[in-house]
Amino acid sequence: MKKILYGLFTACLLTGSFTACNSKLDVEPTDSIDATNALTTSADVEAALVGCYTGLQNADAYGGNIQLLSDLLADNGEISFVGTFIPPNQAARKQILKDNGFVTSIWTNAYDVINRTNNVLANLDKLDTPAKQARVEGEAKFIRSLLYFDLVRLYARDWNDGNPQTNLGVPLVLSPTTAISGESQVRRNTVAEVYTQILTDLTTAEARLTTANPANNNGFFANRYSVAALLSRVYLQQSKFAESAAAANRVISSGRYSLTSSYAEEFTSSNDLLGNTQEDIFAIQISSQSGANELNTYYSVNRRADVNINDQLIDQFESGDERLDLILIDPDGGPAYSGKYDVLYGNIKLFRLAEMYLNRAEGNFRAGTTAGAAPLDDINTIRERAGLAPLTTLTLDDILKERRLELALEGFRLGDLKRNKESTVDLGNPPVTLPYNSPRLIFPIPLREINANPNLVQNEGY
Amino acid sequence: MKQNFLIPLACGVLLATSATAQTRTVSGRVTDASGSGLPGVTVLERGTTNGTSTGTDGSFTLSVQPGATLVLSSIGFETQNVAVGDRTTVAVSLKSSATELGEAVVVGYGTQSKADLTGSVTQLSSKDVGNQPVQSFEQSIQGRAAGVFIENSSGKLGQGIRVRVRGVSSISGDTQPLYVVDGIPVLADNLSSTSAATNPIADINPNDIESITVLKDASASAIYGSRASNGVVLITTKRGKSGATRFTLGFQTGTSSPTHKREFLNSQEYVTLLTEALVNSGRTAAANTTRLRTYAGGVTDPLTYNTDWQDEVFQNAPFSQYDLSASGGNEKTKFFISGQYSNQNGIIVGNKYERISTRFNVDHKANDRLAIGINAALSRSRNQRLPNDNAFSNPMQIVALAPITPLIDPRTNLLSGSLDPATGEPNTTFPFYYNPLLSIENGSYNTIVYRTLSNVYAQLDIVKGLSYRSELGVDVLNQSEDQFLGRITSRNTGPTNGFGFSARSTNARVVVNNFATYRNTFSEQHSLELTLGTSFESAQLTSNNVTGTQFASDAYKTLANASLITAGGSNRTNNTLVSYFGRANYAFGGKYLVGVSARYDGSSRFGSNNRYGFFPAASLGWLATEEAFLKDNAVLSMLKPRISIGRTGNQGFTNFASRALFAGTSGYVGIPGQRPISLASPDLTWESTTQADAGIEFGLFKDRISGEVDVYEKRTTDLALFGPVPGTTGFTSLFRNIGSLRNRGAEFSLTTRNFVGDFTWTTSFNASRNINRITDLDGPPILGSFLSRAQEGEPLGVFVGPEYAGVDPENGDALYYLNSTNADGTTNRGTTNNINEATSVVVGNPNPKWTGGLTNTFSFKGFDLTATLVGVFGNSIFDGAGQYYSVGFNNGPDNQTRDQLQRWQKRGDITNVPRAEYLGGNGIGLSSRFVRDGSYGRLRTIALGYNLPAAWAQKVFLQSARVFVQGLNLVTFTKYKGWDPEVSTDYLTGSASQSQNNINQGIDFYTAPQPKTYTIGVNIGF
Repeated sequence: MKKILYGLFTACLLTGSFTACNSKLDVEPTDSIDATNALTTSADVEAALVGCYTGLQNADAYGGNIQLLSDLLADNGEISFVGTFIPPNQAARKQILKDNGFVTSIWTNAYDVINRTNNVLANLDKLDTPAKQARVEGEAKFIRSLLYFDLVRLYARDWNDGNPQTNLGVPLVLSPTTAISGESQVRRNTVAEVYTQILTDLTTAEARLTTANPANNNGFFANRYSVAALLSRVYLQQSKFAESAAAANRVISSGRYSLTSSYAEEFTSSNDLLGNTQEDIFAIQISSQSGANELNTYYSVNRRADVNINDQLIDQFESGDERLDLILIDPDGGPAYSGKYDVLYGNIKLFRLAEMYLNRAEGNFRAGTTAGAAPLDDINTIRERAGLAPLTTLTLDDILKERRLELALEGFRLGDLKRNKESTVDLGNPPVTLPYNSPRLIFPIPLREINANPNLVQNEGY
Repeated sequence: MKQNFLIPLACGVLLATSATAQTRTVSGRVTDASGSGLPGVTVLERGTTNGTSTGTDGSFTLSVQPGATLVLSSIGFETQNVAVGDRTTVAVSLKSSATELGEAVVVGYGTQSKADLTGSVTQLSSKDVGNQPVQSFEQSIQGRAAGVFIENSSGKLGQGIRVRVRGVSSISGDTQPLYVVDGIPVLADNLSSTSAATNPIADINPNDIESITVLKDASASAIYGSRASNGVVLITTKRGKSGATRFTLGFQTGTSSPTHKREFLNSQEYVTLLTEALVNSGRTAAANTTRLRTYAGGVTDPLTYNTDWQDEVFQNAPFSQYDLSASGGNEKTKFFISGQYSNQNGIIVGNKYERISTRFNVDHKANDRLAIGINAALSRSRNQRLPNDNAFSNPMQIVALAPITPLIDPRTNLLSGSLDPATGEPNTTFPFYYNPLLSIENGSYNTIVYRTLSNVYAQLDIVKGLSYRSELGVDVLNQSEDQFLGRITSRNTGPTNGFGFSARSTNARVVVNNFATYRNTFSEQHSLELTLGTSFESAQLTSNNVTGTQFASDAYKTLANASLITAGGSNRTNNTLVSYFGRANYAFGGKYLVGVSARYDGSSRFGSNNRYGFFPAASLGWLATEEAFLKDNAVLSMLKPRISIGRTGNQGFTNFASRALFAGTSGYVGIPGQRPISLASPDLTWESTTQADAGIEFGLFKDRISGEVDVYEKRTTDLALFGPVPGTTGFTSLFRNIGSLRNRGAEFSLTTRNFVGDFTWTTSFNASRNINRITDLDGPPILGSFLSRAQEGEPLGVFVGPEYAGVDPENGDALYYLNSTNADGTTNRGTTNNINEATSVVVGNPNPKWTGGLTNTFSFKGFDLTATLVGVFGNSIFDGAGQYYSVGFNNGPDNQTRDQLQRWQKRGDITNVPRAEYLGGNGIGLSSRFVRDGSYGRLRTIALGYNLPAAWAQKVFLQSARVFVQGLNLVTFTKYKGWDPEVSTDYLTGSASQSQNNINQGIDFYTAPQPKTYTIGVNIGF
C-alpha cells in the first residue's frame, strides 16, 4: 500500500513539471516578429521602406516639430509663441537647454529613421527586379539625405559660417545597427563630409528614380522631382546658385506640377484628402488614421492657438495680398493667428512648386543666369497667384521678401536667415541682436546623446 | 496543458479514497482568565493546516493525529501550545497579551509559529486592515510595518500605489512586491491605457482579509524565487469557523475633502504682478490693456471678476460602504461568505470609485485524511477616471487660468472657453488655456474591471506528519475602458465632432502548485519540517482598442455611433514560469533553529541560454530565552537573535525583451510598413539580489515590552536594464544585464503595553531607514523626467541639475552656481545667469531617509481609540509645475503662487524670487529652485469606537454592536507648500517604460492632494 502511495505521490510531483513544462517555456512573440525573419522577401524590403516614410511623418520630424522649432528659433518678432510647452518656448527665446525635449527627439527620431533606411539599403539584393532595386534605393537615399540635411542645418554651423571642412557636422551612420559595440560611439563628421554624402546620395537617387514612380500612390512617395527639389534646396543652402537654379528648373520644366489657382487652396484642402495637390512635389501624408499634423496643433486657432501672428509680419504684406487671407486678424485688436494649418488632418507640404520658382529666381539672379526663366518672371508668377500686380524691376531683396511671405511658417526661416547672413533678435528686455552665426541659433547636441557617447563634441555655448 | 494540472488533483482523490483513518478526536473549551468562554479562537494542529475555531461558548472539536500538539491563538491573547497526548478533552485558559509573538504566521507554502521563524516577517491582522475609507488594503497599512513604504501617487481614486519593501531593487523591472492571495500569486500588472497606473490590487476587498504577511528577508522570500526581490506580500482571506452561523453587518458613511489647497494670486495681485511683468518685458501699455481685457472675458475693468479656480474643481465628496458577511459551519464544512458595496467620490469633480465584491470560501473535510476547499472572489469595480496630471484637461491644471477670467463668460453666459454658440465652433474668446471644466462637463473615462480570483485545493494527509497539497488557481481580470469627449472639448481634442476610445483587456493567469509537507519531532528534541513542491504558471494578456470620431451629436457616446474609426489595435502576449521549490526547517530543543530553502525557476522571458535560475537561502536562529539560564528571567521574557542570507530574483520585465524584433506598426496612411524596434540581448537573464539580514526579537517584562530590530543589506547584480545607447544607432536603449545596486538599512519596531486592565493603552512604533545606491550602471545616467536620474553612486531617482543660487540684486536675474571643477580640483562656486553654463549636481533625493509609524490604542470599558501617525522624513519633492506657476510670469500668463509677490523689483532688492518679466524665461529652467523638502508627519487614521455592552446588544438579539467615528489624514505636518507631500505625479507611473516609472519619483505636477475623510459607522454582529 505504502509503495503505491509513494509511487503515486512521486508521479504527482513530477507531472506537469519536467516532462511537460520545459517546452512550455518556448513562447513566441505574436505582436512582433524576430528580426531574422523580417527582411527576407522583396515585399519585406518594400514594407521596410514604407516604414521610413512613417518615420518622416513623426511629430519629431516633418509632422511639425522641425518646422516649428526652425521658425521660432529664427523669428525676430514676427510671431510669438504663447503656449505652455517648454521646448518651443526655449526656441522662441533662443535659449535652448541641453535637455530640450524636442531637440532630443528630433535627433533620436532622425537617426531611428536613418537606421531604417540603412536596413533597406543593406537589403536591396532581396528585391526581385532591377527596377524595384533602383526605385527603393532612390527613395531610401532621398529620405536619408533629407534627414541629414536638416540634422546638419540644425545641429551644426551653417555651410556659410566659417570653414565647413573643419566645422563639426553630425555623425554619418550609413549601415544598419545590429549590435551595440565600441563602433557605436561615433564621432561627428565635418559639415563638408555630411554635405558631400547628401549630394552623392541625391545624385544617385535622382538617377535611380524614374519620373513616374510605379509604386507611387497618388504621389505619396518620392520620385525623381522630389530629389531634384531637395537638391535645389541643398545647393541654395551652400550658395551654389547656378546648381540650385538648375535643379529647380528640372522640377518646373517637367511640367508635372502647377501652382494651385489660389494660395489658400494649397492649404485648405478638405480633411482626409489623401494625396498631393497639383502644386505638391512631396508632402507628408496625414489622415485621421495615420500621423498627426502638429502644425495644426500649435498654430490653429481651433486647437492650442499657441502662436500669435504679429503686426511685424502682417504689415509686410501689400494690401490685396491674398496670402493675408490665411492670417486671421481680430478686428478688436486681439491676437491674430495663422489659418495655414486649420485642416486637422491636412497634409504637410514639404516641397511645393512655389519654392522651386523662388529657388530658381534667386539662383538665377545671384548666379547671373536665366535657366528656365528670367528671375523677374518667376517672382511675378508667385505674385500673380497671390493676387498682386507684377513687378517691373527686381532686386535680391524683392526675391527674399517674396520668399519670406510665400513660405512663411513652413520651416524655412532658420535656413534662409543663416545662408543670407541675416540677424535676429532675442526679444528680452533689453532686446539682443543675434547674428546669423550666433551659437544660440544652433541646437545643442542632446544631453542624453553626449552622456551616451563621449566621442561627441558639444556645440559652443552649451 | 489542462490535463497536466488536473492529474495531481485526480491523484489526490485516488489517494484519499484509499486512505484509512488513523486520527483521534479532541474536544475542549478555551476560556479567558476570568473563565468565560472565548469564541473565535483559532485551534490549529501544530505543523499542519488542520484547524478549527471555538464556538460562541469557547468550545471546539478537532480530529488530530496521535501525539499532536494544538496551537491555540486569538488576537489579544498569548498563543498557547497544548500537547494532546492521550487526552480526548482539553481545557485551556488563555492569557491576554498585546503582543503576537506566539501567533501562527503565514509563510510561503505553509505556516509557522512566530517563535520558530528565522526570517524577517511582519504580519498584520484584520484589525489593521479594512473598515477604512480607502479603496485598497495597502492604503490602510501605511506606517504599520517596518521596512514597508507605501505611497499613494495622488488623491485620484483607484490609482497606482507604490509599495516598497526594503527599498527599490530594480531600475527597469517591476519594483512592487509579489502579491500572493491564499497561496496563489495574483495579477498585479497595471492595465491602464493611459500612462497613469491603476491598481489591480484594489479588486480585493480589504474587509475579506484575515491577515497580511510581508516576507522581507531572503530566507522568508526566496521560496518565491525569481519574483521575490521586492518582497512578498501574502494575503490570507477570512475562513469560516465551526459553530453557529454568525452574521456581521457593517455600514459607514462620510465625506472627503482635500488635505490642503495651494495659494495662488487673486485678481488684484494677478493684475499688479502681470502688469509689472509685461512692462518689464518691454510691452506697451496699450497692448497690456488689450491683453487684460482679453483675459477678463472682454470687460474693460480687469478686476471685474475674481475667480478662485481651485474651488471649481475641488468638492466635498461623499463616501459610503456596506458590508455583510456570514461565517460558520460544523467540523466537516466551514464557510465564509461576504459581500460589499463601496461607493466613494473623489475630492476632484468627476472622480468616483465604486466596487461590488463577493467572496465565498469553503473548507470541507471529505474524510479524516482529505480536505478540499475553494476560495472564490468575484468583484466589479467601476472607476470614473480623470485625465492624467499632464493633460491640459486635468482639473488641477485649472489653477493656470487667470483669476480675472470669469467662470461664466458674460458674452455667452456659458462656461469660459465654450464653443461659439453661433457657429458651434471654437472662437477666439477663450481663456488663454483650455478650461478643464469643459472636459468634466462633457467628457468621461470609465474603467470597469471584473475580477475573478479563485482557487481550489485538496490536501491529503498521507501518513503521520506527511501531507500533500495541490492547489489550482485561476485569476482573470477583465477590464473595459470607455472614453468619450464631446464637441465642447474640441480645442483640446481636435474639431472632430466628438472623440471616443474603447479598450478591452483580459489578463488571465493559471497557477498550479503541488507540494508535500512533512513534519515530525524525533526524540522530543529534533523537530523537522520539510516542504517540497512544484509550481507552474501560465499567463496571457490580450487587449484590443478602438478609437473613433465624428459622432452625430454628443448624445451618442459609444463607438457604434462613430462614423470614422481612426485607430484600432490588438495585443497578445504570453509568459510561462516553471518552478521547483523546497524548504527545510530544523529545530533542536525548541531553541536552535535552522532553515534552508531554495527555488529553481524557469521563465519564458529569457533567452534559452539563461532560462533557469536558482535561488537558495539559509537562516539560523537561537531562542535564547529557552535556555535554562534565561528561562525564568524576570526581565527578559523573550530573546531571539537570528541571521539569514539568500538570493532572490526579479523577472518583472516585458515579455520578449531578449529578442531583436521588427514590428509591422509602421504603416503609412494605409500602406503597410515595418521597422526594427529592438536589438537582441541573447544572454538576458534574471536580476539577482543577495540579501543578508541580522535581527533580534525581544520581549521584556513578560512581553509588556516587545520588539524587533533588523539590519540588512540587499545587493542586486545583473540589473536587467534598459541602458541608454547612442541614438545614432537608431535605438535609444538596449535591454541587458548590466550594473548593480544596493539597499542597506535598519528596521526597528517596538510594542509596549503601557496599561493593562480595565484601561488599556498599547503603543506600537516602527521606524525604518533604507539607503539605496546604484553602485554600477556601466554607462551614462539614465535620464528621467524633469531632474530625475538613475545615476551611478546615487540613489535611484535622484534629482540632478543646476543648483539655483538665488537672485542677482543688481538686475533680478536668476543665478546658478557654476559648480565646475577648478584646475586645483576645488569646486567653482561662482555664479552665472546662463543655466546652460551651470554644471549639473545632485540637488535632491526623493527617497525618504526615515519612514515610520506610531500607533496608539486605548480602550476603556466599551470604548476604544486608535490613532496612527505616519512619518516620512528626509525626502525631496520636485515641483515640476513650478516652472509654470512659480516663476513670476516668466513662462507665460499662468496664474502664479503667492510667493511670487516677493520678486525682485529694483536694484539692491535681496530676494530669492527673480525679476518678473513676461515670457522672459528668467529662472524658469529646471534647477534646484523647484526642489522642496518633502518630509511630513501625518495623523493617518484615528478611530473612536464604542462597543455596546453584550447585555444590551442581546436584548435586541444582537451578538455585538459597535459604533464608530474615524478620520483619515486629518492633520498633516509638513513644510511643503504644494498641495500634499505624499505625491508622485500619475502620468509618470504607468508609462510604457518601466525604467521611467521607477526613476520618476517624488514629482508633483498639478497632482491632486490626498483626501481628508471623516466617516461614521456601525458594525453589528448577529
